[in-house]
Amino acid sequence: MLKIKKPKITARKAGELGFKIITPIARWIFILAISYILLYPLFYMVSVSVKAPMDFVDTTVIWVPKNFAFTNIIKAFNALDYVKGFMSTISVEIVSALIEVASCAITAYGLARFEFKEKKILTFILILTILVPIPMIITPLAVRMRYLDVFGILGFIGEIIGTDIRPNLLNTPWAFYIPSIFAVGLKAGLFTYMYIQFFKGLPKELEEAASIDGAGPVKTFLTIVVPSSGTIFLTVTIFSIIWHWNDTFLSTMFLSKDYPLSVRLSRITSVKGVGDKYDPKTVGVIMAACLLVILPMLILYCILQKQFIKSIDRVGIVG
Amino acid sequence: MFKSKTKKHKGVEQLKSKYGRLFVLPWEIGLVLFFFIPIITSIQYAFSKVELTVEGFKTTWVGLEWFEYYLFKDANYFDELVASLSSFAVQIPIILSLSLILAIILNQKFAGRVVARAIFFLPVIIATGVVIEHMTAEWMTISLVASTGAENNYSSMIDFDAILGNLGLPEEINKLISGYIGDIFNLLWSCGIQIVLFIAGLQTIPDQLYEVSRVEGASKWEEFWYITIPMLGPTILLVMVYTMIDLFTQNKGVMESAFTLMKNAVYDKSSAMMWMYFLVVGALMALVLGLYNKFCLKKWS
Repeated sequence: MLKIKKPKITARKAGELGFKIITPIARWIFILAISYILLYPLFYMVSVSVKAPMDFVDTTVIWVPKNFAFTNIIKAFNALDYVKGFMSTISVEIVSALIEVASCAITAYGLARFEFKEKKILTFILILTILVPIPMIITPLAVRMRYLDVFGILGFIGEIIGTDIRPNLLNTPWAFYIPSIFAVGLKAGLFTYMYIQFFKGLPKELEEAASIDGAGPVKTFLTIVVPSSGTIFLTVTIFSIIWHWNDTFLSTMFLSKDYPLSVRLSRITSVKGVGDKYDPKTVGVIMAACLLVILPMLILYCILQKQFIKSIDRVGIVG
Repeated sequence: MFKSKTKKHKGVEQLKSKYGRLFVLPWEIGLVLFFFIPIITSIQYAFSKVELTVEGFKTTWVGLEWFEYYLFKDANYFDELVASLSSFAVQIPIILSLSLILAIILNQKFAGRVVARAIFFLPVIIATGVVIEHMTAEWMTISLVASTGAENNYSSMIDFDAILGNLGLPEEINKLISGYIGDIFNLLWSCGIQIVLFIAGLQTIPDQLYEVSRVEGASKWEEFWYITIPMLGPTILLVMVYTMIDLFTQNKGVMESAFTLMKNAVYDKSSAMMWMYFLVVGALMALVLGLYNKFCLKKWS
């Protein structure tokens, strides 16, 4: 007798099989749907930027314009005064972003590795600086930048010698550099927190070995800790650059000329020659301007994307 | 240095704490100069009348006048406050669950994961800036145009209102749901950092836990509720706090009117407005976090 083995299909197995087939499909549908929503603005930005004016009133043109034209981009480039804005963004925002990467790391190392009495309260204050939004303190901060003073000492000397020697930092990049040097700049609390979580996870043995070999804490930090924390440095650098690049709030308060790109972009509708806000052709110019402003960040992201995503995997932001 | 050698152990400890303070010192100075003093000044503004004179700011103490004004006399403030808070109450759970789902999907291993991740982190780059303000403004006018059908050349959106209308639900519910669908763009775009944080949290869950549960015969659903969620407890807390602050500092509602006042150099009223807002939000935040800590974190651990 020949026995044909029937494959036993139990309900559970069938369910598992179904699950195995359905999951990837469902996942891809979900991912595609959300990617569409996320990429729509970028596609839209590009598509609208290269449309010729006549295409805006042509109802048959949806995504791909019939007449490619760079008028929008050129208009936006001029309205933003792109080269000047770019230089000012680099000299003000990017420099202070990089200073912050270093200063926050130093502070975080002090809070993560050493034991001292007031450490707990300092960590609490650190959390507080993350919680208190900048808008609440921006006006007094701007006043401080106008008359920078260290505990009234400079003002006191000024009163004695009769001239005000308190420096005016408004309209200079120093209004951005100095808070960054002291690790209290834009989002510095968050960066310090990220560093602390990472440093706490580093194995102590290397540092101990270094200190037995006679290296001081500063040398240990520079030669042992910094080289082995590449991932967190990369993550913080990317975040810091992006947030500084996109910041408009501090720049509008501290500067009144030579604005960085982000401020120029936020005011683009008031620039002469851009056109009426509600005219569909103006949308083309605004979108072209948006594209021009985020283009450097997009390029940076494309270059660093792989390392960035890897570093997110490895950085234990949550301790 | 020589002293520390005689009493070696204690000396090293002292040395260590000394160096720790050294590392932290610049930040402490910065804190006082650019955090505490401005905060105190800002509180002072909230309780006084601020006038701009040639010599600078002149403040006269008025006590609780501004707070009283906004609480009892101003017609808009209270409404704005309630509107902001109720929109937070809806948005926070949506953002949290959406970003958790996305993070779990992105954390799985599948072909094309790298591309998907690269796309999903895009909001981190764009959403923090002005670009998104312009985008949402354009998006809104365009979707308005699309939904009224006056000009259909931009996008062909699916008519959600019609679909919902055919479901036969009450109109209020339809309006609510279609409002959220219209909001999905904004909500998705504010998920960027949250996804990053959740993925980092998911990476810290040891694989052995899942293996054990698989051996025990737990379903995916059970795995999610009994392993993933409890293990993510602290991450959820962090993401919740981050989302709250993010929403709270957005230039909308109360913040918007405070900014408008500030731009017109009315520093006293705007400070009072923001401090009151901050206190209310802070109290609510503390309440939510306290409840979360008591009913979720403790139970899970």
